[in-house]
Amino acid sequence: MGFREINPKMVEATVAPGQRLFSQRGAMLAYRGDVTFTPSVTGGQGGVMSMIGRRIADEDTPLMTVEGSGTVLFGHGGHHVQVIRLSGDTLYVEADRLLAFEGTLEQRTVFLGSQGGVMGMVRGQVGGQGLFTTALSGHGAVAVMAHGGVFEIPVTPQRPVHVDPQAYVAHHGDVRNRLSTALGWRDMVGRGSGEAFQLELSGSGAVYVQASEEKL
Amino acid sequence: MSSHGFSGGPAVHDPATLPSDDNVNAYTFCVELDGSQWFLQKGKMISYYGSIEFDGIGHGRLDRLIRTSFHSPLHASDWVVARGSGKMLLADRAFDVNSFDLEDGNLTIRSGNLLAFQPSLALKQSIVPGFLTLIGTGKFVAASNGPVVFMEPPIRVDPQALVGWADCPSPCHHYDHGYMTGVLGGLRALTGLGGASGEEHQFEFVGAGTVLLQSSETLMAEQPMGAVPPDAGVPGGGAHGGQGQQSGAPRLPGQLGDLQRRFGL
Repeated sequence: MGFREINPKMVEATVAPGQRLFSQRGAMLAYRGDVTFTPSVTGGQGGVMSMIGRRIADEDTPLMTVEGSGTVLFGHGGHHVQVIRLSGDTLYVEADRLLAFEGTLEQRTVFLGSQGGVMGMVRGQVGGQGLFTTALSGHGAVAVMAHGGVFEIPVTPQRPVHVDPQAYVAHHGDVRNRLSTALGWRDMVGRGSGEAFQLELSGSGAVYVQASEEKL
Repeated sequence: MSSHGFSGGPAVHDPATLPSDDNVNAYTFCVELDGSQWFLQKGKMISYYGSIEFDGIGHGRLDRLIRTSFHSPLHASDWVVARGSGKMLLADRAFDVNSFDLEDGNLTIRSGNLLAFQPSLALKQSIVPGFLTLIGTGKFVAASNGPVVFMEPPIRVDPQALVGWADCPSPCHHYDHGYMTGVLGGLRALTGLGGASGEEHQFEFVGAGTVLLQSSETLMAEQPMGAVPPDAGVPGGGAHGGQGQQSGAPRLPGQLGDLQRRFGL
């Protein structure tokens, strides 16, 4: 089980009977063995209500269930793929960045306003996350897509990290994020640095950043 | 030689330090010409050193060459012959570029992915529409969206991820729509509720050989490769219309029309 990185843009997953995998629809490149791909309406856990919730929240990236026994290769759109292993903590990521994740992980949709009220919502808009984001928690591996290579920056209580909202990919651990603004009179007269908004992440955990400001 | 790449800024090449018939970086390939010839797709040369002539083919002077190593004259106008001596750089829109050596072998490749090849190889149209076959001994250069991965059959491959195959494993279609059967599945197929997984159709390869995959499902633009004679029994020949559509046309996930047709609905 788990994902093996074949090259920066492709991962290989092993599927065994009784274990299932969720992946973005259409992201399978090739497979060996006896594997079936079933469109998953509910996209994991939570039944019909959470499915409707996800649709309203615009976090309803179509998923499919991968079951059987064999190996499957995943890749999508030529994007770089980063495998993140979770051991009990929670990963926050946009649903359309999810390439594949193990069925042992629990998926739910989080309202950004619950993390910091109105500023959370503003932050979601600026960061291109919208008002909602997806959280995966439990034990297992996630393959996340990004434009350009991905690097991991540890966040420690002494050392908060500032990230360009457009380059932000995901974060996990006990991290609070806050939108910090550096708007000044220069921005008002059109002479800004173009870096007026930053995400400030503090706490303990890690943030994943892509080497590009292009969104997926 | 010029490996001061990372610390001292970009590597600066001159004719002596450029590799000979090898990659300069993942996206650029350098061909050394020494009185020899290469075929290349129009517009894929980005720069060259030395004296190299680029001749469009199909204009008389190179008729013999075309007869011996270019067996599909119908699309010859999309290729040029590079002749002379020097080094030339090939690239295609920052796609990954790789060279492959064939030794008395055969390899079938998607027409859009092939950039250049040595005239010691013979280029023919494949029976599979949209693909070209290279036969013989020599080197060729191909582009792909993401690095190329080599897999051994038996394997099933997404049509958009397939770059090509070597040594003749049998390529055939494989349909997987088990979830469309039964009462719930029938409802799903009729209403379109729940969508399709987008993976109902694969290319299946069995037998001995190698299958080449690219790391993404974004296709390279298909290169015109000429028509095949419109005879009965020739796939894509037009005698029975539209047979060759399946391989090239991109399929949208959730597109149900063709599935329904497949079920006779």
